[in-house]
Amino acid sequence: MDMRFTPEENAFRDDVRGFLQSELSPELADKVRLHQPLTKAEMEGWHAKLNARGWLAGNWPVEFGGAGWTAIQRHIFEEESARAHAPRVVPFGIAMLGPVLQQFGSKAQQDRWLPRILNGDDWWCQGYSEPGAGSDLAGLRCRAERQGDHYVVNGQKTWTTLGQHANMIFCLVRTSSEGKKQEGISFLLIDMETPGVTVRPIVLLDGTAEVNEVFFDEVKVPAENLVGEENKGWTYAKYLLTHERTNIAGVGFATAALDNLRRVAGAQIHRGRPLSQDPVFAAQMAEVEIELMAMSTTNLRMLSAAAQGQAPGIESSMLKIKGTQIRQRLDALTRRAYGGWAMALPSEGGNEGQPLGADEALAASATWLNNRKLSIYGGSNEIQRGIIAGALARG
Amino acid sequence: MDFSLSDEHRMLQDSLRGILNRHTGDDAMAPLLEAGVIEALLTEDEGGFDGSGAAVALVFEELGRAGAALPLIGTMIGRAALAQAGMPDDEARAAFADAEPGTRADRGVAIRADGDRLTGRKTMVAGAEDATHLIVTTADALWLVAARAEGLALTAFPMMDGQRGADLEFAETPAQRLGSLSDFGAVLSRAALAHAARTLGEIEAAVDLTLDYLRTRKQFGRALFDFQALAHRAAELTVEREQARSAVVNLAAHLDAEPHLRDRHVQACKVTVGRVARLVAEESVQLHGGIGMTEEYALAGMIRRLIAGDTAMGDADYHLERFANGEAAWT
Repeated sequence: MDMRFTPEENAFRDDVRGFLQSELSPELADKVRLHQPLTKAEMEGWHAKLNARGWLAGNWPVEFGGAGWTAIQRHIFEEESARAHAPRVVPFGIAMLGPVLQQFGSKAQQDRWLPRILNGDDWWCQGYSEPGAGSDLAGLRCRAERQGDHYVVNGQKTWTTLGQHANMIFCLVRTSSEGKKQEGISFLLIDMETPGVTVRPIVLLDGTAEVNEVFFDEVKVPAENLVGEENKGWTYAKYLLTHERTNIAGVGFATAALDNLRRVAGAQIHRGRPLSQDPVFAAQMAEVEIELMAMSTTNLRMLSAAAQGQAPGIESSMLKIKGTQIRQRLDALTRRAYGGWAMALPSEGGNEGQPLGADEALAASATWLNNRKLSIYGGSNEIQRGIIAGALARG
Repeated sequence: MDFSLSDEHRMLQDSLRGILNRHTGDDAMAPLLEAGVIEALLTEDEGGFDGSGAAVALVFEELGRAGAALPLIGTMIGRAALAQAGMPDDEARAAFADAEPGTRADRGVAIRADGDRLTGRKTMVAGAEDATHLIVTTADALWLVAARAEGLALTAFPMMDGQRGADLEFAETPAQRLGSLSDFGAVLSRAALAHAARTLGEIEAAVDLTLDYLRTRKQFGRALFDFQALAHRAAELTVEREQARSAVVNLAAHLDAEPHLRDRHVQACKVTVGRVARLVAEESVQLHGGIGMTEEYALAGMIRRLIAGDTAMGDADYHLERFANGEAAWT
């Protein structure tokens, strides 16, 4: 056993740090740190910088224009990016659709769509969940009917993150109601500018509108936009969800959140001393730090096994559960460290006036509220426990 | 032993429920005042007709249940404190300035008294914009400040609990010392009970909404309540809800007890209700799933009010430490 990073991996970490130091502006890092919504231009600008360095698609093989990183390199990149408060790479094109097209798309689809993802020509969003199909994703009802050389799509998608910026959406649609519900689903690429597509923002409890409903009314989609085979979309969807879960542990985000909690608790006063020296609060901080130490290694153990060719199974579900528990506990402690200031109400724009000097406390409240999503999206933690339990029961 | 409401309290409850069913938001304030809601929170000596723990608990539980974010606690504290200090004022609308920036819940970190002048800051002061009187805490004392005193600046903003709050900046602002915090321990304990009871009402509302959702929402062809993992967590919420209710009952019954015993119940109540509020906030969103995070759905406001309820006048962690050390609640 050797828990040290190799010299090459350490050199890579230095490269990443150097890149972040020279390319990430303090203004942008501050917005990320203070949980302020980024503009589309800011996210695209960060993608362009990464792409110029060849690092936008760390997970893609080199032949598709990716960086071809190992799982450990990706982990290092994500950890350093999070600790430096770099914007996260918007996952929909890079982390989700890219791998599906590379695995199941036609040559023509790969040639057409992959370079456009890297160049920022397209902004993709995800059309999976529906009002009646959340945890029960296979119960989806948005229909696509084949008519000659195109499909006609009718129905609704929801929880479409950053859909307000997107010009393209990849959708799971029902193409058959025969047999098992999983067997009538297809994977379709839809241009959002097609007549009949409507996007409506959903305001969340932190006041932001990062998710949307997307409605389809007689939307014509060229048949060439079907990925893989008709009625095989569930297989591709599951493949995509495993990719969505590769950084699901969020070690980098948790480490950044712990750094921030230490800073806040070091500055808040309790009985004339920093709150971080209060035994009760310090013990709660220590407990979550200890959990994070173990979880980081669980993450590396599982990445290492994946690098040696073991297919990820219930491990990613385990990481999702523990990773989100740790982040939500860190968020809760940070919010509570602020005491009265945690009563401040985050609002997008914030033009109504806010408490004086409370930017960071507002960020802590907004983070607590917004990160309730961590244990819900990408397959809720209950779904993950079901996956683990199901695998255990089969023995 | 009898835990049921007296006839008078049942009538009060019916009247509040009627008003809160007919009026939402700020519109409920005028009819509530007309119905004597403030007087129900005050003793006869304070210009009211009740002021018992049971009355305070039932009023704020109803307000919490209805999600009514109205600045009544400040006025209750103000009129009771003014009466105790020998300056009764039946017209006073008061705001209670307690929380300070830079500390979780300590007093006197951001504000100090120098003779009869206050200098420093208070934050999250509910109802400050409309107040005639400000009741201000420092490290060890309670102070009266005129709403438009010289050297006082006010910045208002919306708060997590749906009320409007304000930052108050004091620059050698004239103030009158009413007494030590422990002199006013009974009044402050009544305010802690009000916060806890309102949070209890919010806990009940959020749990009820969650149970309804589990009964009606179907996934995989059956109601969510048919999934045992979810059903057990719902059951757990109702167990904890009863704990919160009992902690409120305990404090309500000990508001007039000798200070040490009363303070133990203040702390136990804030710890229990604060922890249950956090649990219910987290679990009710999780059991709902995505819909529980949307502003359009009723749960969003409940979640924000639940976590705000823990924060007011010291959170569960703050009071746990004092309970463990055997310290007074108001020092």
